[in-house]
Parts: sequence; C-alpha cells; structure tokens
Amino acid sequence: MNNLSYLRLIWKTNRGFALFSMAFITLLQFLILYLITTFDTSSIINVIISQLPEKVKIFLNNSFFNTLTLDGAAAFGLNHPMVLALMSITAISIPVHHISREIESGAMELLLSHPFRRQTLILYLWVSGCLILLAIAMAALAGSVTAIYVFHHLTMNVFWKIVQISLNLWLLFVLIMSYTLLISTAGKAGNIAGNLSAVITFMFYLLFFLSEFLDSLKFTKPFIFFSYYEPQKIMFNKGHFLLDCVVLLSLILISLVMSLWLFKRRDIP
Amino acid sequence: MTVQKIISVENLTKYYDNNIGVKDISFEVEKGEIFGFLGPNGAGKTTTIRLLLDLLRPSSGKARIFGLDVNKNSTEILARCGYLQGEFSAYGNLSGNEFFRLIAGFRKISPIIDKNLKERLDLSDHDLLRKIKHLSHGTVQKIGIIQAFFHHPELLILDEPTTGLDPLMQNEFYDLVFESKKNGCTIFISSHNLAEVEKICSRLAIVRRGQLVGLETMKELKEKADRIVEITFSEPVENIEFPGTFLLEHRDLNYIFRFKGNIIELMKSISNLPLTDIVIKKPALSDIFMNYYRDQIHE
Repeated sequence: MNNLSYLRLIWKTNRGFALFSMAFITLLQFLILYLITTFDTSSIINVIISQLPEKVKIFLNNSFFNTLTLDGAAAFGLNHPMVLALMSITAISIPVHHISREIESGAMELLLSHPFRRQTLILYLWVSGCLILLAIAMAALAGSVTAIYVFHHLTMNVFWKIVQISLNLWLLFVLIMSYTLLISTAGKAGNIAGNLSAVITFMFYLLFFLSEFLDSLKFTKPFIFFSYYEPQKIMFNKGHFLLDCVVLLSLILISLVMSLWLFKRRDIP
Repeated sequence: MTVQKIISVENLTKYYDNNIGVKDISFEVEKGEIFGFLGPNGAGKTTTIRLLLDLLRPSSGKARIFGLDVNKNSTEILARCGYLQGEFSAYGNLSGNEFFRLIAGFRKISPIIDKNLKERLDLSDHDLLRKIKHLSHGTVQKIGIIQAFFHHPELLILDEPTTGLDPLMQNEFYDLVFESKKNGCTIFISSHNLAEVEKICSRLAIVRRGQLVGLETMKELKEKADRIVEITFSEPVENIEFPGTFLLEHRDLNYIFRFKGNIIELMKSISNLPLTDIVIKKPALSDIFMNYYRDQIHE
C-alpha cells in the first residue's frame, strides 16, 4: 500500500471542516486575547461578580476569575466550548465517516479488496486523524501565541505553558477519536456510531462539569477523562501535565489496540 | 499435465447469526477458465465472493486462492486479483482520475489507464474529470470495470459485472473477458443473468439457498438436462405414454413433453403412431436453471 494515497484521501475528505476549524479557533484565540488586552474587562466583570449570589460565584469557580488575566484568557480560549465542540465534531466524524459510513456505502469493500492489511488501514486512519487534530491544536496554539506576542509580552514560560495546554488538548481529542474508532470498528452503523460517541463525550463532559461544584460527585473526577485536561491549572502551575498525558495516552492506546483487534476479526458485510 | 487450481473451496460455510449465508460449498476453479456462479438474489453468491476475498470470516471450511489460504494470505492474494463488486461503490467525492490515482497508489502501479481500455468502454477524459457522484450509473460501472482490469490481474472476481451497462457495452465487456482469458487470466463471474453466463462461461456452479446444487461444464449441463419434445399427430391417439417423458401441455393433437432418456427408445415407441410433426428442442440455460429451482418454487 502506498502510504500517501490513503492519507491523501482522508485529508481530502476532511480538509474542509479541518481548515474551517483551524481558522475559526485561531481567530477565536486572537479575539479573546485582543478583548482582554484592549479594554478593561476585569473591572466590568468584577462589578458584575460582586452582585452575584454566593452559590453562583462558587459555580463560576476560580478558573473563571483567572480568565480576567491575559494568561488566564489564553488558557480559557483553549477550553472554550466552541473549541471543544469543533474539535469533538472533527474527532468523531473522521472514524465514523471512514469506517462505519464506508462499510455502509460499500467503499470499505472496495478498499479491502486491495492488497493491504486491515490493521494497516486502521493505523493509517488513526495517524491521519491524529495529524488533523494536531493541526487544529497547533492552530489554536498559533492564535494564542501570536495574540500574546502582538498585544502583550510573550515570555518563554508562557509560551511553554501554552504548548503544554495545546498538547493536552490534542491528547484529549485523540482519545475521543480513538474511542469513536473503537465504536465504529465494533460494527455500529454510521449514525449509531456517531451518535453513541457524541453521547458518551457529552455525558462525560456534563459529569465533569457537575463534579466541579457538586461535592457528592467529586469522587467521579478520577474516572472522567475531561479531568485530565486542565488548561487553567497548567497555566497557573497547579496542573499535573505529565500525569494527564500518561492517563490520556494509556486510554488512547487501549482504544487503539482494541480497535485493531476488533477490525481484524469483524466481517465486512 | 496437472491442471493448476486457482480457486479451491472446501465445505465453506457462513452463518449470519442463525441464518445460512452459504453451507458446505465446495468447488474448484482451474487456471484460465471462465467460471460462472449462478443463482437468484440471496442465494449466496456475494457471500461466497466475500469469503474468497477475506471480507467475511467463514463459520467453517476453507478457501484457497493460488494455493494460499484466503484468511492467512489475503494481502498476497489480493495483489494478484481484480475485483468488481456487485454494486460498485467508489468514493463519490473523487473524480475518476483521482480515484484511479488512489487505487494505483494502493497497488503501487502507474495511474495511467490504458487508452485502448478507455476507448473501448467509451469513457471520455471529461468523464474522468467529473466527480464520481455526478456520473451516471453506467459510467460508474465502467470505472469499476477498469479498476478491476487495469493492473492485469491473474484472477478476476466479478460480481454481477454488467449491471447498468447497455447491450453494446456488455458485448465490449465480454470481449475484454475473453481477451483476459486468452492472456491466461482466470475469471470467476457471479451472475443471475442467464444469457450472460451462457455466452461467456465454460463451467458453471448453481447455488440455491446457500448450497451448491449443480457444478458442471456448460456442455455437460445441457446434455444432462431434459429435452422438450413437441409431437403433433394427424388424428387422436389414445394412451399417450412414452418412456422417459412427462406430459407438460396438451392442445388438440399437439403434445409437449419433457424428456430425459434414450432418444432411440422414444423414436421407436412413436414410430407406429400417426405423426405429422416432431420437434426436439435442446434446453436453454433458463430451462435448466428453472429445473434446479422448480422444487424451490413449488415449496
């Protein structure tokens, strides 16, 4: 198998949304940091916060107040719901399209009638997905770094932290892509695989969100993979970047190995 | 001289949950022959092909191509095979040229299509520049045929290959098949098109409900099959019963029988009767096919 042929096919199929995501996320980072640096948002928001009930303040948490600083805003930008949504769509759609939908359409039958191993196909798909997600994460990194450089003073320390957050972000979405790959290879039809993966992602995110301010759910935190993405904490030296990476990488590897095993065994109907 | 077996299938069985896909199928395909795999929709033709291509895992039994186990050596086998799937489905967002570049990359060969092949299948450069999803069904099928043939495989596996082709293109396709055979290629064709199978296949397997019910050369099949005998008498005849015949139809003095047996015996038994005409028809493949399926229809 010519490695580049399949990589090119995957890039061609996904480049539209990937380029849109890259442009959108870069501009979003740029815009957030521009807003933070060009007018005094902190005094406006402090006035609003002073009038909020105590429970709402707890709900908003320290991470929110941190966004009022430039560094905090950079970290917040990389944790913005729009960023998470766009990257989730990309991470879910790549395996669903190239496994489940291609099995349904018959394109997988055509693909597998050519001389390469099924495991090779899965590995190339996974690597392609990783590269596309890396490109989006790097776009976010570039947006943040450029904005800080343009509007403020970029230090090596801040640069390194943004790199760590971007890597952390990338690993989180590689994990989402990897378990979507697992669901797709397990034999779910296109819509089912996509919906199931989206529901799992959303449920984990919701649980993570609730566990942030509900004491009764705090025990679930170690079991929620979103807990291992901590941009604000990394930015303010309270995170565990290496531990986060190890946990996410372990889950990614488990999902990938299971996908390879399942796809090797399954029928292509 | 020993004949090289290109495909050999032994007791191949595939269950889908509790449903039979194919059961205990065994056959061999020799080098250079055009082997037809005939059966109605749902008989198990495509399942057998997918088992041969290692797309499906067998419940039991074995299949070998070029002497290699299809489950253990699929990569080596597929490098020497060309395959046209039943409902050819390419990547709709690619143009024809991009599609050929893609599959040429898979096979590490040049993506340039033989000009002669393009011309014979009436596939223009303009067609190859358009996205596949915007092409007609027939044109997409032509792209499918080219992708199966263009790396000059040793074995062609074609599942319902002429679907969507006009009669002119069908004939061109048959010529391509004969030329490939001449060049030493072995061809395995699944079809429910009787005329097509009759025209191009030298040997035939008939599948019914996932099981092989016939495996003969076309000549043997026709020789073994019942003949249709139509006898017209000049006056009414009583006790019309002849050895090896089964009365199918009777209108006035005209009788139509299905006949199987010694033709001389039959001629002797009717020689003293007042005959005006007798016609003995060789069965068409459709009649033979219907014989195999008669029981199923009556069940």
